[in-house]
Amino acid sequence: MKPEKTTKNRRVGVIITILSLCAMVIIFEFCKINRNVTLFIATEIIALIIFLVSFALTFIKTGLWQFTHKSLKKLDEREIALTSKSLRIAYAIFTVVILFLLLSLAIFNAAIDVVLVAALILLAHILPASVIAWTENEE
Amino acid sequence: MNDKINNKIRRWRFERDEMTQEELATRAGVTRQTIIAIEAGKYAPSLMLAYRIATALGVSLDEVFQYFPEETG
Repeated sequence: MKPEKTTKNRRVGVIITILSLCAMVIIFEFCKINRNVTLFIATEIIALIIFLVSFALTFIKTGLWQFTHKSLKKLDEREIALTSKSLRIAYAIFTVVILFLLLSLAIFNAAIDVVLVAALILLAHILPASVIAWTENEE
Repeated sequence: MNDKINNKIRRWRFERDEMTQEELATRAGVTRQTIIAIEAGKYAPSLMLAYRIATALGVSLDEVFQYFPEETG
């Protein structure tokens, strides 16, 4: 497969994974407000399946997840430099996301719930690998 | 900085009975992707790694890597 196509596929995978993660949080909040358990179960399962499939194809199959979660001792110098760069970018993105969320929650006077926190933890772990998937041709 | 480091890894691999990138990577203690990146000029290795690659290819450092400083003035 051509490197450009691989990069494009990875970027699509990153977008689908993050959007499905956002969808799970939005569905949860929406169903909580409307107290609709049936709709919640049906749509949440669909979003979860999309998330798991895209996550597996984009991060697990390509080795990106393992790459950003390996011990530094198992990486060579280029990989360490790449991981460091991706962590720096991911940290900046995550900070902006958190600030935006806190601001939104403060404006709408909403509470932080477990699903949102879980999604943010997942996002924090996915972001460094997403940055690599977005910027690198091969890994 | 626009300093450049060129390399002749591909040529020396060829001289060494078409040594594969995987084999060179194993000998230098890095991944094949790192050798690919260095060979393509996308990554400038540290001095230590440059020596390891040169040793793995059985030549001196300056036979593999050439440094071209940024032209000033």
